[in-house]
Amino acid sequence: MQKTFKRAMHSLDEVFDFIGEFMKAHAVDQSASYSINLAVEELFTNMVKYNPGNANDISITIQKNKDDLKVTLVDTEVEPFDVANTAEVDVTKSLEERKAGGLGIHLIKKMVDRLEYEHNNRQSRITLIKHLE
Amino acid sequence: MFDISIAESGEILLAGRFDASKVETAKSVFQTVSTSRVVDFKDLEYISSAGLSVLLEAQKRLGESSQKLKLKNMNKHIRDVFRYAGFDLIFEIE
Repeated sequence: MQKTFKRAMHSLDEVFDFIGEFMKAHAVDQSASYSINLAVEELFTNMVKYNPGNANDISITIQKNKDDLKVTLVDTEVEPFDVANTAEVDVTKSLEERKAGGLGIHLIKKMVDRLEYEHNNRQSRITLIKHLE
Repeated sequence: MFDISIAESGEILLAGRFDASKVETAKSVFQTVSTSRVVDFKDLEYISSAGLSVLLEAQKRLGESSQKLKLKNMNKHIRDVFRYAGFDLIFEIE
């Protein structure tokens, strides 16, 4: 199942509806569904925030295999930013030391089983794999 | 759907889905709070890093005057998100 979305924060409701419809049709459990919602939101909002001048839509594809879910986000006319190789976040810091932001990719890495990144011809392709129980 | 309100008891009530498009709505309520409060997550289904940032900012601001947010009634998935983010170390969670 594939769909393209306008590069805007207000597209999020439509993105969640798309994911929700897929999860319902394939009777995916709530835990896996939550993880995919969160991972897609974090990646999609980064694409909106860091390329505001880009008029191209963002494509999201979800498929269910026997034992896992595979989600791919494709963004075009963008500089490379390897989300799979970002610095570790220290989540043990005190309240005073913690800063808002920077947690999105960290949460994705905790909540999905694989996060892969490719960049070719100014196109970035991010793939998420979530094993199903 | 996302909703945030303050009950007569002073508790902050969250409901629905707290995603990146709801940050300004949530901030407008948290900014009015200057004393310790309980935040009730009973009707909240979902939160992402955007929502965590709003709560962190509020906790940091309140902490400067020795006040704090205390969180309660989280569902299992939201509790996991807080744990992965290390927010269980900076918030008291009932």
